[in-house]
Amino acid sequence: MEAAQAVLENLKVSPGPHISRHYCTRRVMLDVIIALVPAMIAAWFYFQMQALIVLASCVISCCITEWLCTKVLKRPCTLGDLSAVVTGLLLGFSVPPHLPWWACIIGSVFAIGIGKMVFGGLGSNIFNPAMVGRCFLTACFGMLMATWTTPSTIDKKMPMMSPDGIIARTQATPLAWAKKAIRSAAENDPAKIIELDESNLGSLKDLFIGSRGGCLGETSALALLIGAAWLFYRKTINWHIPMAVLVSSFLFSLVFWLINRNVYASPIVHLLSGGMMLGAFFIATDPVTAPLTGKGMLIFGAGVGFFTMLIRIIGQYPEGIMYAVLLMNSITPLIDRAIKLIPAGGKPNA
Amino acid sequence: MSTVRSRASLTFSGGVHPPDYKHFSEDCAIKAGPVPKQVCILLSQHIGAICQPIVNKKDAVAAGQKIGQAQAFVSAAVHSPVKGIVKDIVLKPHPVLGREMAVVIDAAEDNVARLPQCGRFHSDFSAEQYSCEQIVDAIREAGIVGMGGAGFPAAVKAKTNPSTPIDTIIVNGCECEPFITCDYRIMIEWTAQILAGVKLVSKALNCKTVYIAIEDNKPKAVAAFRNMLAATKTAAGFEVKAVKTKYPQGGERQLIKAITGKDVPTGGIPPMIGAMVVNVATAAAIAEAVVLNMPLTHRVVTVSGRGIKEPANLYVPVGISVGELIDFCGGVTGETEKIVLGGPMMGFAIADLSTPITKTSGAIIALTAAEIGDAKSTGRRTPCIRCGRCIEACPVNLNPTKIAHAVKGGYLDVAQQYFLTACIECGCCSYVCPANIELTGYIKTGKILLARQKQLIPK
Repeated sequence: MEAAQAVLENLKVSPGPHISRHYCTRRVMLDVIIALVPAMIAAWFYFQMQALIVLASCVISCCITEWLCTKVLKRPCTLGDLSAVVTGLLLGFSVPPHLPWWACIIGSVFAIGIGKMVFGGLGSNIFNPAMVGRCFLTACFGMLMATWTTPSTIDKKMPMMSPDGIIARTQATPLAWAKKAIRSAAENDPAKIIELDESNLGSLKDLFIGSRGGCLGETSALALLIGAAWLFYRKTINWHIPMAVLVSSFLFSLVFWLINRNVYASPIVHLLSGGMMLGAFFIATDPVTAPLTGKGMLIFGAGVGFFTMLIRIIGQYPEGIMYAVLLMNSITPLIDRAIKLIPAGGKPNA
Repeated sequence: MSTVRSRASLTFSGGVHPPDYKHFSEDCAIKAGPVPKQVCILLSQHIGAICQPIVNKKDAVAAGQKIGQAQAFVSAAVHSPVKGIVKDIVLKPHPVLGREMAVVIDAAEDNVARLPQCGRFHSDFSAEQYSCEQIVDAIREAGIVGMGGAGFPAAVKAKTNPSTPIDTIIVNGCECEPFITCDYRIMIEWTAQILAGVKLVSKALNCKTVYIAIEDNKPKAVAAFRNMLAATKTAAGFEVKAVKTKYPQGGERQLIKAITGKDVPTGGIPPMIGAMVVNVATAAAIAEAVVLNMPLTHRVVTVSGRGIKEPANLYVPVGISVGELIDFCGGVTGETEKIVLGGPMMGFAIADLSTPITKTSGAIIALTAAEIGDAKSTGRRTPCIRCGRCIEACPVNLNPTKIAHAVKGGYLDVAQQYFLTACIECGCCSYVCPANIELTGYIKTGKILLARQKQLIPK
């Protein structure tokens, strides 16, 4: 009875509602981390120890950077929301498997420091921090960022495509081949024409399970789809953005593929290769940098898909999802402003 | 009516699905509550003008005697639920308005607990012997207000207005708020009385199309009404509609949308589209007022929550204190963190247990951390992560995060651009917010600031 009396003297008072969905920001981030576990396992399977080194250095340095920033800004520590861990994982997944640990750290510091904390931390950043970090790495270490290790499961006698021909066990990604094919067609020299087939693109099965060259976390579409299923099950993301990204890039590549099947890779190859799956389900869906409304998300997703394919097929780089996401991030505020929600009862007559 | 939609789509867009927590008290039959030694009748238990006390200190009052007179069209009289002596007319804690004037009455020794009047009604009740004026006057004299929570004077709604004829009456038995079971119990136990009240309203408004809307998680209540309608001939045009279980299905606009498919205009009222919604408890009170000439002085209150030792549905006099009812139900457990008057979504947390029950208090809920949620209980917040869950949950299709942040930053004009005033304050946005931002709290604050700015209410 005394305990009850003490309770009644210390009642909490706050505006309603007084119950909550038990689904806080930390849980949202934790769900993303859980969803990335299959991709982590795949990365370990294909790239062994290297996967661990890259992921660990990215995650740890992201967390330390965020902690240092909050110290410098004299703010409460925000590591508890786990968003730095997610950024670290996504950055690690989007770099080549053999990226040296120091480059990972540089990318992470930039991702968190410049990509997120200078804007004011979680919720205030304009650009996806992981993509900012990767963008910085691409600008600084172009060569390292375009050197793809062959998964340990693939035949070691695959054609060596390393820039200088010295580093062994590297391989061009399917998208690099696709790009080469487009370029060779443009040169109008029949001898140099490269035709896309299974010998360079790999079979669809290989693309699907991830037995091919590529960034650490993006090789296995299967693992990423399992993770995406978890995100949908937990309602962490909704369908708008992934659907829009995949549909728009499918349609874009379909048009080119129908024009010339020898030069342009099929839409399925485009969807399964590069960072498409990682980008559509995990990167473009970052709530902070995507629009608020369902309609806005569709526009955003369609834009990501469009720019990705524009870069892949017409632009200079073989892969473009990073730039596409950053580009669409920058117009997210415009999308949000353009999409006006009208109350259910119509506009008031005031 | 052709505008009524099929059962599968009887709902609205948006909304949330909180656990209903009704198991604590749904099987507790209504029983008489404690006999109070003192009651405290707030003079403002409704939307509209506060009523004026018409008794003086030390006056003797009888049970059912009017003690506060409505002096405006939109207002409602108050009555003493007990026999006793007026002790004082002073400011008392009000669940919503802070402190308000109230008549405090010391109850006489010989008061006994009043029992529900449901036994005096039967399914063949006919409203034909009452005229429209008679019904509206009786409702006004009895001081009946919307008992679902809003507290809008029922006489105003029951009076026909030639410019806005009513073609659909919807009886609100949704009770979508978690924990609360008072309406559920009266729907099962007082079915005939509620139907009598509805027949009277239907007569007063000359509207024969009546839908009794009940959420489909209350099959017993649906069956009770269906059986009674099948057994009576005096309820032609009445139909029971099982609507989808979703919060806030019992919101007036959401219910009208679910039943008729029409939206009440923003800033407008239901009669503009020919609809009128009456809560089941209000209907029961109307029956008592018109047929038995009894003012609204008692109501059913659910005392529930994990923190209440013996949850119950009590029939109690208005003006009894929250603390007295909690004690009657065995007191609270040590893990109680919050006591809420009303439902956990739209009710008000109270700190003062001497706060009296009003005509609109459907429940007293003692919440523990298990329901409040870890983040909310410990006050752990993050910045808005712009996930858009509040927008998805909003039953009015607003942008709660934009409005709340505009209010927070002091930009009331921006908040208005995002239709601040269209908010129905249902709490769905705060409920789903992963960042644990008090979106509804900010929006309510914004509305008050706006009203002050327009000098609608004093500072």
